[in-house]
Amino acid sequence: MSERRRIGPIVAVAIIVLLGGFITVLAVAAGRSTETADSPLIMKPAPAVVSTTYDGDTFDLSRRRGSWVVLNFFNSTCVPCKREHPELVKFVEAQQADGTLGVELFTVVNDDDEDAVRKFFAENGGDWPIVRDDDSQISVAFGVAKVPETWIISPTGVVVERFTGQVTAEILGATLEMMSGGAA
Amino acid sequence: MLGASLNAAVGRGAILLGLLVCLFGIGITIAGIRQGNLKALRSSAYYAYAAFGAALLAFVIMERAIITRDFSLAYVQQVGSRDTPALYNFAALWSALEGSLLMWVLILTGFTAAVARKFRSRRDDVLLGWAMVVMFVVSLFFFLLTFGPANPFAVGPTGVTDGPGPNPLLQNHILVMFHPPILYLGYVGFTVPFAFAVAALITGRLGEGWLLETRRWTLYSWGFLTLGIILGGWWSYEVLGWSGVWAWDPVENASFLPWLTGTAYLHSVLVQERRGMLRVWNLSLVIATFSLTILGTFLTRSGVINSVHAFSEGQVGPWLLVFFSIIVIAAVLLIGWRGDRLRSPGSIDSPISREGAFLANNVLFSLFAFVVLLGTVFPLVVEALQDRRLVVGQPFFDRMTKPIGLTMLFLMAIAPVLPWRKASGEILRDRLFWPACLGVAALAYAVIIGNDGWAPLLAFALGGFAAGSALRQVALATRRQGWRGFVGRANGGMIVHLGVIVISVALASSGAYTRSQEFVMEVGDTVEFSGHTFTFEGLVLESDPVKSSLKAQVRIDGGPVYEPARSKYIKQGMDIGTPSVKTGFRHDLYLTLEGNVRPDDTEARIKVFVKPLILWLWIGGGLLGLGTVLSAFPGKRRRPEAPVSEGLEARV
Amino acid sequence: MTTVRKRIKSAPGWLVVLFVFVVFLVVGIQRDSGPSTPQERIDAVSQRLACPTCDGESVFESRGSASVSIKKEVARLVSAGQLTDDEIVKTIESSFGEDVLLVPRSTGLDAVAWALPVAVAVVAVVGLVIVFRRWRREGSVHASVDDERIVFEAMREAQRDS
Repeated sequence: MSERRRIGPIVAVAIIVLLGGFITVLAVAAGRSTETADSPLIMKPAPAVVSTTYDGDTFDLSRRRGSWVVLNFFNSTCVPCKREHPELVKFVEAQQADGTLGVELFTVVNDDDEDAVRKFFAENGGDWPIVRDDDSQISVAFGVAKVPETWIISPTGVVVERFTGQVTAEILGATLEMMSGGAA
Repeated sequence: MLGASLNAAVGRGAILLGLLVCLFGIGITIAGIRQGNLKALRSSAYYAYAAFGAALLAFVIMERAIITRDFSLAYVQQVGSRDTPALYNFAALWSALEGSLLMWVLILTGFTAAVARKFRSRRDDVLLGWAMVVMFVVSLFFFLLTFGPANPFAVGPTGVTDGPGPNPLLQNHILVMFHPPILYLGYVGFTVPFAFAVAALITGRLGEGWLLETRRWTLYSWGFLTLGIILGGWWSYEVLGWSGVWAWDPVENASFLPWLTGTAYLHSVLVQERRGMLRVWNLSLVIATFSLTILGTFLTRSGVINSVHAFSEGQVGPWLLVFFSIIVIAAVLLIGWRGDRLRSPGSIDSPISREGAFLANNVLFSLFAFVVLLGTVFPLVVEALQDRRLVVGQPFFDRMTKPIGLTMLFLMAIAPVLPWRKASGEILRDRLFWPACLGVAALAYAVIIGNDGWAPLLAFALGGFAAGSALRQVALATRRQGWRGFVGRANGGMIVHLGVIVISVALASSGAYTRSQEFVMEVGDTVEFSGHTFTFEGLVLESDPVKSSLKAQVRIDGGPVYEPARSKYIKQGMDIGTPSVKTGFRHDLYLTLEGNVRPDDTEARIKVFVKPLILWLWIGGGLLGLGTVLSAFPGKRRRPEAPVSEGLEARV
Repeated sequence: MTTVRKRIKSAPGWLVVLFVFVVFLVVGIQRDSGPSTPQERIDAVSQRLACPTCDGESVFESRGSASVSIKKEVARLVSAGQLTDDEIVKTIESSFGEDVLLVPRSTGLDAVAWALPVAVAVVAVVGLVIVFRRWRREGSVHASVDDERIVFEAMREAQRDS
């Protein structure tokens, strides 16, 4: 029986150490958030997606090679998307004024009412093409979790950046500047 | 506005009162114990009643605020709404964090008061005194939570005259009235055996006394927890529209973990009662069960893990984590300190014996609990160590728990026929023959009607085997004792086993043999699926102030019309699908309306699930409840001084 | 009567039971048929994928818009009929990342989630065997005075408690 008495404290210490580690993990986890903009597609060729725009044109991402492409995933019922919109308008205006990069912005709309989207754009400005994604092929190909999301694709057709949540004209502009600077 | 501020003031006052009462209760009881002052010791009961009174007052004030729509309170602004129907408005109290903690406090102080009342003839007992102290400490903690970080009586911004109401999912089925309170009764009830276990450790009276005293409390808590979990599954089935009852969601796991350790305890406690063994183990199980309720609350109420059930992040996380740490560290130290007195005399002679089976049972239940805990917290571990997001869900839990579950069924078949001490091969051959035949018959029947797959088939075979053993026990007992053969722990326990078996078979069957198909139907179309015809007769729009529902009318087999619906909750802007279920003994037909539908549409996407044996889940749940009640009745009493080796079987 | 019963329950009877069990089990396992409608395949695949926006829920359970999109894609891939279930899961994973899987990987730290329960099970079984061995050894020894005192105390306490 003396054997068992010696085991007792060891077991107790082992249990306390284990529990201590466990509690530490919980305490560390409690302080974090999981917001990341990671994607397995970063620095990989962009998925080949084809669809049509609201204006009736064909949208084929692979044909857009040669210019920077910004895809903005949008929904007219999503409040952050609407809040983000003026920034996109500002971004496009700034790019048009500058004109050196030749950036093309596309809004991609999945699972939404087309009339509502048209109405929103009519009221809030924005004359860039709106791409239909009725069968969610584009959203799934890019792994879009939650709109708004904004993706940047390089002139060589490589996915270089993903933003989840609202972006600003400033961030978008600065990112593009940096990327294109690096490329040049 | 006067009435409004009154609610906040009285509610907060009541919580403060409860807090102080618990504090005084702790002080006076400890003083009474240490000074041998019986008068002080006896007064602890009054503090228990007073704490319950304070909690009840706070609860009633909160209900009053919700019912009278007092939108001056932040909590009512969050969960209240002028348009919520009375019933769901009443249940709105426990539809968010602060209110659910208030309900916890009410139930906890209720248990404390009930313990004080039940043991009033033994108020001088130091063991009871310490148990009261522990319960006061736990109550104090929860009063503190509702006083500080999760204050339900906080005053909200002024000028608010209406709120969104509870989450739409919490206001479209009657079960929200019952599932949370019943679950809490079980969850919180485990505080009682925990308090007595700690008291036994402190007083050093580590015999079987505290076990026997809390036997029924444990049993009832277990029963409520079981019922609560099953009602939760039922709610999920009737409301969520994905046709399942269990998703291994962190909150579900949080309720399942104490159930597993509690069930292990209910079994291993028999070995201690009978043989005086496994003392440390039983104490550990009781303490683990209680600390798992706190851990589960931390995991699901602090925002570390998100889930459909999780309430928005509050400030309670660090509090719960600290409390959990205190409990487990104090418990380990206490057990270590009392280690010398916990040495159990005696040994188990043979693994093939009743006590051997209970040991195996405990290993399985602990392993099960470990797997569930691991799967629940593993994403946190990965995130802490590698800063990477990982999701652990159903496929992991299914794969890991299936073998454990099947082994449990097997053990359930063998254990009830085993005698204490030692079993011979002959006894096993003799007693297990007809149960084994039943198992094989169940398997044969399942195969003949066309079932396949090794896991469900094994579940049916082992289920039949285990049912045979349980029935054998009940049959022998009733032959011997008449109606008394149904009551008592051994016999009631077999009814519980039957309930578990029925549920296992139903889960295995509905998990493996669900048929589903989606149909796009024009008005007037009829489709056939799995031997039933479904006719789509059109969409009906129904609106009330809370929601507008679009119901698809589907006639099944030319009989009654079922109406799966999609409802838009106006204030929350949420779109909720509501399934419609035709229940049957063989299978349920579960219909959902899919996609975006508009009132003027002439076609609809209807998804049909054919789910076998779902009704038997609820029937099994009923058996579990019945068995629990039967177990709580005293069966054939054994004289306490009778030698432990004298088994009931021995007298047959 | 008793002898007939006894004889049924002895070895031959059990052999018959075992034989019937094995035969039916083998027949049942042999005809494992899997999903019978495309929808069931879609359901099965979407049960293996995590909803990207809601922790812990599968795409099958979730009603979130990302889940609905993934479900549509899975439906399309299933009806195209070119990929196996595993390949469909892989396709989705390649755009959403590995946190779309509902299971830990089998390499690196993740493997711990798979291995640890097995290790615990093995340790528990070995522990039980050792404990039983020791008990069997001690079983032959008679109760010490100390043990008898404990038994006596326990009985007295039980008497007082009742």
